Amino acid sequence: MNRTIPVVINDRESETRTPARPLIIIPAEARDPFSAIPAFPSVGPLECDLTRIAPGRPQAAGDVIVIRGRILDADLRPVRHALMEVWNANTYGRYSHSGDASSQAPLDPHFYGFGRVLTDDHGFYTLRTIKPGAYMARSDIGWWRPPHVHFSILGSGVRLVTQMYFPNESLNTQDYIHMVIPELERSRVIAQVHDEHSFRFDIIVRGRDQTPLESTV
Amino acid sequence: MNNSDPPFTPEGTLGPFYPGVFALSGLPNNLSEIAPILAHRPAGQPIRISGRFIDANRCGVPSLIVEIWQANAYGRYRHRLDQSARMLDPQFDGFARIRTNDDGSYSFSTIKPGAHPLRDGSAVMRAPHLRFTIFASGIDRLVTQIFFDDETLNSTDPVLNCIEDPSVRDRLIARRVGQGEYAIDIVMRGEGETPFFDDWAR
Repeated sequence: MNRTIPVVINDRESETRTPARPLIIIPAEARDPFSAIPAFPSVGPLECDLTRIAPGRPQAAGDVIVIRGRILDADLRPVRHALMEVWNANTYGRYSHSGDASSQAPLDPHFYGFGRVLTDDHGFYTLRTIKPGAYMARSDIGWWRPPHVHFSILGSGVRLVTQMYFPNESLNTQDYIHMVIPELERSRVIAQVHDEHSFRFDIIVRGRDQTPLESTV
Repeated sequence: MNNSDPPFTPEGTLGPFYPGVFALSGLPNNLSEIAPILAHRPAGQPIRISGRFIDANRCGVPSLIVEIWQANAYGRYRHRLDQSARMLDPQFDGFARIRTNDDGSYSFSTIKPGAHPLRDGSAVMRAPHLRFTIFASGIDRLVTQIFFDDETLNSTDPVLNCIEDPSVRDRLIARRVGQGEYAIDIVMRGEGETPFFDDWAR
């Protein structure tokens, strides 16, 4: 079955940018990986902390949370040394991004808002951030985005961009971006509560690096 | 998709607030220069690819991220799965990440990738091509491959030719517009829509 990428209703960018035609399936014998990240940047040990703009500076407003999890590939092997890029809104629901200038929510001068981390030898990662606030995505139709954290994972033969949501947020089921995910899969992007200030978010990346470019024997 | 699939994490959009510092630094954004201070240059023909990403309203798509991956001039990928005898090039990694401008335009320099057999010992040849992985606000990850209009291997390339309609196939072929200069626009949706591939299929 040829897959068509679903359009997020009421998202004008999704409506005008999502291909209308079904994706083309490459015959199995000609399938190769589409991406690889051959050279890795060095990631500093403090880059996984989004809660301060620099070491020794005051902590951002809001609830400090720790997100920990493990990245596995399609064969459930750990994805080691993959680069994770993470970004989220501040406690008021505003991004430290010049493109979010129309937001009514205040900036937090102490919130960095984006960070990076490499997964360890067993595929684990740990991040520290501020629990993001909800924000209005479209005021004309009253569309609120629930609190969420953006993740981009690349390297070690995997590539995934996704958003992590929090449990028990009533806005989740009113969010067009969350609701475009098939119902049975929605729980996979909702973090599990570990304790009051920490969450667990495991990621299984669909394999796209299974076919050798060259047979090795 | 079947019942034995593990619970894969669904993909989602990059959203409008992907940090510019990630897009523009941290990973290479120039294929031709690993160490710009050195006099060494990658082997092969230097080329430049330019064009625009266009939406259904024929407007440019700004701040769109393209991750480009390609073989070197000898047709070798810097990848653990490419165990061929073709040479690696110490000056060429074959990966870069770029971002479109406010008008949806993009441009990057690289070297023309080499052709290579589909597999070791295979008689089937892959035509020189670039692999694009595309992210933007409003879309999930998209992948496609870009070919060159001055390559005779296009007519037998097994990926290009799994597109049945030749006029649709042409939308993946960059036009030579000058010495070492190629142009191709990517239409995300609507008339002249660029074909994209499914890399979930196993």
